[in-house]
Amino acid sequence: MYDTPPPIKPTHIDILRANRRQQARAIRGPQSALTDFLASNNISARQIQDDYANRQAEAARQANETQRQSVDAEQARSPSEPNSPEDLIKKRKRQQAIARIKNSKEFAKRKARLNGNDDPDYDDEDLANEIHEERQRPQPGQLANCEICEKRFTVTPYSKAGPNGGLLCPDCSKKHKADEKKPPAKKRATGNIGRRQNQANLLDGLTPHGTQSLLETCIKKVADYIHDVEDFGDLPPSLLLRLGQILSRRRAVTSKTLDLFLRPQYRSIDLFDCAKLDTDDFHKILASMPHLTRVNLRFTTPLKDEIIQYMVDRDMQIKDLHLDGPNLVTDACWRLLFMKLGHRFLSLKLWNLNSAFDDETTQVMCTHCPNLQRLKLKFLHRTGNGTLEAISTLQSLEHLSLHYLKETEIDPKHLLTIVDNVGPRLKTLSLEEFEFADDSLLQLIHEKCHSLVKLRLSKNFTFTDKGLAAMFTNWPNKALTYVDMNSLRDVDMTNPNGPEEPIGLASSGFVALMEHSGGKIQHLNVASCRHIPYQAFEQVFAEGKVYPELKYLDISFCPAVDDYIAMSIFRCCPALQRLVVFACFNVRDIHIPRGLAVIGTVGATVKIDGVAQTETV
Amino acid sequence: MADSASEYVTLISHDDYEFIIPRSAACISGTIRRMLDPSSKFSEGLTGRCKLDDMSGVVLEKVCEYFCYHEKYKDQTNVPDMDIPPELCLELLMAADYLDT
Repeated sequence: MYDTPPPIKPTHIDILRANRRQQARAIRGPQSALTDFLASNNISARQIQDDYANRQAEAARQANETQRQSVDAEQARSPSEPNSPEDLIKKRKRQQAIARIKNSKEFAKRKARLNGNDDPDYDDEDLANEIHEERQRPQPGQLANCEICEKRFTVTPYSKAGPNGGLLCPDCSKKHKADEKKPPAKKRATGNIGRRQNQANLLDGLTPHGTQSLLETCIKKVADYIHDVEDFGDLPPSLLLRLGQILSRRRAVTSKTLDLFLRPQYRSIDLFDCAKLDTDDFHKILASMPHLTRVNLRFTTPLKDEIIQYMVDRDMQIKDLHLDGPNLVTDACWRLLFMKLGHRFLSLKLWNLNSAFDDETTQVMCTHCPNLQRLKLKFLHRTGNGTLEAISTLQSLEHLSLHYLKETEIDPKHLLTIVDNVGPRLKTLSLEEFEFADDSLLQLIHEKCHSLVKLRLSKNFTFTDKGLAAMFTNWPNKALTYVDMNSLRDVDMTNPNGPEEPIGLASSGFVALMEHSGGKIQHLNVASCRHIPYQAFEQVFAEGKVYPELKYLDISFCPAVDDYIAMSIFRCCPALQRLVVFACFNVRDIHIPRGLAVIGTVGATVKIDGVAQTETV
Repeated sequence: MADSASEYVTLISHDDYEFIIPRSAACISGTIRRMLDPSSKFSEGLTGRCKLDDMSGVVLEKVCEYFCYHEKYKDQTNVPDMDIPPELCLELLMAADYLDT
């Protein structure tokens, strides 16, 4: 029977039915009631059949299909067209198709999706029409004419629908897409920043609860709008410094922003990123701030001889010179600087020099800077034993930081000479990566250095636990406030637990260190001291022990640390602000007191005291 | 003395705008906390009124907004930064520096 019109695309079943009907046509008998009914409505079965055959042929040919459909669609859209029998049938079919669509799941889904926008003109009928048209579109692989440019093209699953429901050729869809405005980017929900951001904030020293200070918020905002700022007015130097730090970190210190930092009346300048400045800018700094006594410039690759020459020519009153990476300055110029201005220098800090500054320059420096109290030399490629010898002659030295390149061959006996000669006055001693320095150095520090406040002995695999313990035991030096002992450990890959007699900071050394300095210590770094056993941690952070001033503790890569030790640390260190626990994989589930940032937990459950929200950091 | 124990304090800008805010909120500022400390015997401490002569009403309003913002969020994690209009931020920065907040 013909109770439902066949779909436009004939299916296998439809073709079978058609065949059956054709067979039936051969037999002529009394007409059925339906045929009578249809005839009375000006519909003939014959007509329908012909129609159907036509459509089949057309589907096979495909060539004219798109055109025909657009005609169909047009006729459907204007129902007042003259009602030829054919049109009437099409209209009926269309209506039935739409009725079916209205009952379909897809329709319900789309309707639900559309319910958000209350467009009164957009009712069920429109939606059904739309779906109907979509279904009539050619399938991928077929050919169609573009709705806009009328060009023929092959339909793909990616073909876009045009404004009137037809399909667009690739060229037109590109243009059409460009015309469409992109929806505004989804706003990130505030208050729900991800784990990565949490970790970044922790590393910046922000604890994850409470608000930031108004000052910090404002400084950040000023930094955001730095290019609109014409003048800072009389901003106090401390704020200028902080702003300089933030801008440097964002690499926003340029010739333009530099002007904001130039204050003729100020005596110091701190810029942590000078990479975007040129020779003129350096001139400008020195020329517009003639009273400078403290020059702290980092990333000064563009700084050339003529700038140093300018300082010398003007006989500037510089007392503190801190320069990172001024690689274009030649040895001759360095020597000239020390000879002319060296007598005023109180502190000198140099980092990352690879083309100049050799041992001979250091000797000139030590001869002409007799008042030097603070000296930091890090990664000066061309210095070696000669520099160490020269440093041991500095009679006023109080703060000494040395970090050589790993490749530099250093004779540890020069370090002994330094400690022997300048040790008694030293308040700061920082010796990084002197891998072959041995217990005799520790012994000498124990004997000679009695005014130390800050001690850094890191990246060494020769010190023994015994030697370290001996240094801290009965040491006349008063308690240290800053101790960095990171990476004192054995580095034999085949024996990860180290030899029987522990190398580096282990049980007795750690206990002795905390016995000696526990009362005053503020900053302690024992990262990568792998041989500190669980018992030593237990003993150091036992019940009743208190380290009242400890603010920063780094115990990364100490595999012994677990939840219990972590909780003991919280109990023993009431002032602790930061605890660094990278690669302490046994820290799984901890309860952090307020105001403390724990950095480097991996997948641990972290609860914060007194804060409503809990989360996994 | 009744005023010094009052729950609310008054902050006055140089152009005479008055902002009445809870004492606990105002004391987020170290400077105001010290002003209002009754034991210091400053007149502010006795009357509960702080005249802030180098702040305009606009800036002080924002400062008070921050105080309340701070109070509201002090026990929550991942608090978004307060929104500050760019044209105010330099003045506000100076104010924040003065107020020690």
